[in-house]
Amino acid sequence: MKGNLGEKLQSLPKPILYLILILATSIPLFFPTEVPNEPVESTKDFYATLMALPEGSKVLLMSDWTGSTRGESKGAFRSIFKILIRRKAKVAIYSAADPQAPRVAQDAINELNMERKRKNLPTFDRWNDWVNIGYFPNAEAAINGIANDLKGAFGGRKDFPPNSPPRDVFQSPVLQGVTKVEDFPLMLVITASKTSNFAVERVSGRTPLAFAVTGVMVPETQVFYQSKQIVGYCGGLKGVYDLEQLMESGVNFPDKATAKIKSDKLGTIEGFPDPDNKGQGTRYYPTLHYALALMIIMIILGNVGMFLAKRGDKS
Amino acid sequence: MMPLSQVYIGDQYRDTGWFGVFMTLLVAAFVLLNIRRARGGKDLYIRRIAGLNAIDEAIGRATEMGKPVLMVPGLSDTINAIAVQAVNIFAYVSRIAARFANPILLCCYNAAVYTYAQETIRDVYQSEGVADRYDPDSVRFVSDRQFAFAAGVSGLILREQTAATFFLGEFYAESLIFAETANSIGAIQVASSTETTQTPFFIAACDYVLIGDEFYAASAYLTRQPVLVGSLVGQDWSKLMIILMIILGTLFNTVQIQGKTTWERTKGVWSQIPERSVKQSDTFMSQLFKPQLEKVKVERPIDPNYVPEKGAGE
Amino acid sequence: MIPLLQAQAPATSFWSEAFNSSELWTKLIITLVVGLVVMVGLLYAPIRARKPIIAFFTFISGAYWVLLYLWPKPIDRQPGEMPLNTVETVSFWLADSNNVVVSFTQILTGFLLGLGIFSLLKIHLTKITKGHKDAFFSIVLLVSMGLMIWFGYADWFDRLGERGAMLDNRDNWGFTQYGRDFLFEGLLQQMDAAMFSVIAFYILSAAYRAFRVRSVEATILLSAALLVLLSLMGAVSFVWDENVKSIANGNPFILNFQLTEVAQWIRNTFQTSSIRGIQFGVGLGALAMGLRLWLSLEKPGSGS
Repeated sequence: MKGNLGEKLQSLPKPILYLILILATSIPLFFPTEVPNEPVESTKDFYATLMALPEGSKVLLMSDWTGSTRGESKGAFRSIFKILIRRKAKVAIYSAADPQAPRVAQDAINELNMERKRKNLPTFDRWNDWVNIGYFPNAEAAINGIANDLKGAFGGRKDFPPNSPPRDVFQSPVLQGVTKVEDFPLMLVITASKTSNFAVERVSGRTPLAFAVTGVMVPETQVFYQSKQIVGYCGGLKGVYDLEQLMESGVNFPDKATAKIKSDKLGTIEGFPDPDNKGQGTRYYPTLHYALALMIIMIILGNVGMFLAKRGDKS
Repeated sequence: MMPLSQVYIGDQYRDTGWFGVFMTLLVAAFVLLNIRRARGGKDLYIRRIAGLNAIDEAIGRATEMGKPVLMVPGLSDTINAIAVQAVNIFAYVSRIAARFANPILLCCYNAAVYTYAQETIRDVYQSEGVADRYDPDSVRFVSDRQFAFAAGVSGLILREQTAATFFLGEFYAESLIFAETANSIGAIQVASSTETTQTPFFIAACDYVLIGDEFYAASAYLTRQPVLVGSLVGQDWSKLMIILMIILGTLFNTVQIQGKTTWERTKGVWSQIPERSVKQSDTFMSQLFKPQLEKVKVERPIDPNYVPEKGAGE
Repeated sequence: MIPLLQAQAPATSFWSEAFNSSELWTKLIITLVVGLVVMVGLLYAPIRARKPIIAFFTFISGAYWVLLYLWPKPIDRQPGEMPLNTVETVSFWLADSNNVVVSFTQILTGFLLGLGIFSLLKIHLTKITKGHKDAFFSIVLLVSMGLMIWFGYADWFDRLGERGAMLDNRDNWGFTQYGRDFLFEGLLQQMDAAMFSVIAFYILSAAYRAFRVRSVEATILLSAALLVLLSLMGAVSFVWDENVKSIANGNPFILNFQLTEVAQWIRNTFQTSSIRGIQFGVGLGALAMGLRLWLSLEKPGSGS
């Protein structure tokens, strides 16, 4: 019996589905709301790792995201830098997944600096606070090279000191005294690609690893987190929102009884309340709700349609 | 300072580091041994894989419709084992297509893979004695930008109205773009991604999906060459070994964790302690997989020509 | 993109000499002569000899990585140190050459990219000259490619010099920088993001079409998927969990039914273990394939 309700529910036209999705994901962007949320364990560990860095620590950061995943990765990148700036960390950035990635990372830091300038806050300066070591093609071999011989891999790479011609990156304050990957107390990977797997394969055991990955990569990253090959990770938009909330409230902070975010595993970890903490995660997270809700509704409608059609066939 | 005799050991073999190397060599030995057995005429059994049976069906349908077969060997950023395996399977697809004079399209993301694929497919047509049917433009480089490639291949699928599509290799976010585009024109699809994140997308949108190492089993299954079949059996031996280790590890840990100990290993050195309950870190499996490498100093002569690098501001 | 800024090995190694030194020129000339001899040799090699030649080079290339993995690595090596014995001499040499060997593959990829571009040009120029119905798109492609290459390299050259750091500031930009910014940020990045966002539509239509309760397995899969989807919605899981907590009143068994706990259980128990299983298989497959290629046990196109 073609054309009955069951059949119709099973074959809604794609343009209508797509139109509903556009509306469901774009309208909430104009009405920002704060969604109640409990950060997941992996993001709490990620935040705890960053906050445990001694001030002035040197961090190696593999930035492997570009414009395509900026919805998730840029939010993570910005939140991580806000924390790193607070920890007065020095960051060595390189990329192995995409030639666009170093430029995208640089632009994101410049944007953060412009915001800080407007608020009369000290900027996070290229060369003195961070260096851009550039792109390394052939990700697996390059990461292997960096893990085995960092000096050789980064040797010859140049970056810009303030108002000077480019100089060897090892002359920058960021890479002072660094000869091997073990000299960094933490390696961060912000990625939308499988370079995170290469980092686990080649760097795990040499220095602690923490990841910020896209939502689709959460299942495979959970494997490394569960086996303790990485110390924590921030996964997808939910991870970014978690991180923003953690920055605002800390963990078990100021004390466990009154804390907004609690953890039995972790001790007291400071938060730093600031309206600026609310970034991309807070803005986009409600949208994710509507998109997921729409998907659930569509799946249910499809199944109801199937049952109705079956019942119709039987009758 | 470390005694000179220990310097020979090598960083990767210290403490429990040898275990990973040993396991790798064992797997290699299993594979080579079984290749030898298969070459020696031993009849080795491999099971049927539904997705691979579908290859002939898909090409047959394309031939009936007179429309091209589209193949994409994934988005490997260099020519690696995955890309080579994908092209190997495509060689089989192209051979059948060549026999039936069915047009093919092979889209490459990486220039090295493109070169390799072009050589391989041309050889296939030559060996079938239909070199004149080979169109050099049927194997093409599209782009090495992920989404430019996705747009290019999707455009080709729609313009050429491909009847059968094969997506085999390393696929990322573009997997669903390909699969849904091909689905929208009713193409029969066989797909496989070595990336576990993308396999669910292929399962949702494609007709047949090779999961995990079925991708590597494909050429053995299709050709029954002794080298490939032997290698596959070697892989199965390795998997059995891993399963055995998981079972043994679980048993070891379960039994050990309930006992008491008077020994503790700290920084790789065993020492006697007052009796206490066994902790996770005391168990045999934990000791085997978690090296407690201690930082050691080795004094070596300095190269007289070595110039230390200048520091910041110097 | 052809990598122009390549990694270099430390100045003291066999692989790197001082700029413009006589040692550098000697090594360059020797390498060039050897390269030419090998190339001519390969060109004139009889067809029957090609297979063993390819097998030889494949074995040598692979042997380097195998040796790097198996040969005892130096312990606690510091810059400027000399090897203590023959074993260390080899291991130092292997470690120093690692980044150079990585560069070999990059240079090779650079040359092969040329072949890829040749393929693109051939297909699209033919379309344009033959007046194919889609010739307009070919023109757009070639013009875009040319513009991107020109602006990309012009901007890159500008940034090499002293002005490089100044160009981080938009006030110091010239025509080249605005051109690059328009093409890279204004077009490429946005189109990348647009293509990526298309996936959202496809996920919705694929989920709507594929997630049907057709069997017991499909029902289990659908239930697990719904629970995980709901757990990603912070508001839903928050309300659910709060309700469970109030019902449980401290009862640890009932607390297990919090949405976050259930979703975590699904992830940790079923998802990670199945992913591990698949990854083991994929890893073993890659190792076996690598071994067959390295030892030339498998000929190209052996799937046929």
